[in-house]
Amino acid sequence: MRYRLRVVLLVCLVLATFIVRAAEPAKEKPVINPPPTAQDWADLAKLPDWSGVWNPKITDQDAQVKSNPPPWNPKAAAQIAHMFAEDKAGRPPPLFVNCLPEAMPSWMLVTHNAMEILFTPGRVSLLGESDGNRLRRIYTDGRPHPDDPDPTFHGHSIGHWEGDTLVVDTVGIRPQTYLAVNEAVGVPNNGDMRIIERIHLAEKDILHVDLEIIAPKILTKPWKTTRIYFRQRARKFDIVEGVCLEGYFAERVDKDGNAVFVPVPHNPGGNRVAPD
Amino acid sequence: MRPSCKRVIAFCAVLGLAAVTDPAAAHHSTTMFDHSKVVSITGIVKEVHWTNPHVAIFVYGTSKEGEEPTMWLLEMTSPGNLVRAGGWSRTAVRPGDKVTVELSPLRDGKKGGALKKITLVDTGQSYTADIRAQEKANLE
Repeated sequence: MRYRLRVVLLVCLVLATFIVRAAEPAKEKPVINPPPTAQDWADLAKLPDWSGVWNPKITDQDAQVKSNPPPWNPKAAAQIAHMFAEDKAGRPPPLFVNCLPEAMPSWMLVTHNAMEILFTPGRVSLLGESDGNRLRRIYTDGRPHPDDPDPTFHGHSIGHWEGDTLVVDTVGIRPQTYLAVNEAVGVPNNGDMRIIERIHLAEKDILHVDLEIIAPKILTKPWKTTRIYFRQRARKFDIVEGVCLEGYFAERVDKDGNAVFVPVPHNPGGNRVAPD
Repeated sequence: MRPSCKRVIAFCAVLGLAAVTDPAAAHHSTTMFDHSKVVSITGIVKEVHWTNPHVAIFVYGTSKEGEEPTMWLLEMTSPGNLVRAGGWSRTAVRPGDKVTVELSPLRDGKKGGALKKITLVDTGQSYTADIRAQEKANLE
């Protein structure tokens, strides 16, 4: 009798653990970025060669101000017209004088500085010069956009290759980032902006970024523009460190002989204050 | 007071001038300079701020014969762009160098401008600062 009782108790215990386990909801495993395989690395060699340093065609940026203006809505157009007038009068609106990133799309549209493009498994990364905050991560591992992306300066970018063209979709851009046509004229996108890019070599050493900017709060319809970059290989073109805030400080020696930074005054226009 | 002391004090006053009303320097249009004019100055380099986003050079000099020398502030593009487009290095222009400078002056009349060209008097070497001068691939 005691033996049977023990057996029954044991069976009940075993059954109970199974029942409890089945009743628990299956814990979802977190999504991870798997380690790249040797094949993943080998596949990068099949991508087009985007090595080197890419510097922008600034004269084309200048030309497009007249030849390809964005389709501003009336409210934005009035502000843009005023800014052009102020700039012409020698009072350029200080859009980019606080060392926050130029962000999307203005980095692509009005930069005067070089960039480089790196390929790693599942990712294309754009690194810009002259401001450590110029960094875009374009995920090519097939992931979707998050349902509710945290707004960021460069947005959430996902891309895929169509032949030798990288097609990129970017959402989740902060509403404060400017859609600028030059360094003094532009308005904040005000939210709900989406940017589609087709990035490809137009010639062996010329890169085109074909942008389609959908910005319903400031444009009457999507705006298309191509921005042009030249490839440089000479080592003197290597990207150098560029900390935006460093121009705000002068190198001095303090009373203890330490090498320190001392603030240098600037005016609201973003220039160091010149002597009277 | 010795002239050199006066100069140091004047220079410190320049740097200490004006409460900062807005943080930092960054990219800005260059229309605060009058690009239709060219002013030439001759003087001695006092400081070179080889920094992003805009390199600055302070030159103690004159724009006219017989004028009292004063501090001039020259602004130009980033170090990276100067190296590429203008053949500069961080030490191409150094404090103590005698220079002549062509600049587009500030519209507000202050002693400063956008540097167009700087020439080292002793060597004749000159450097420019045109960011639109590198629009070809595979430059050397």
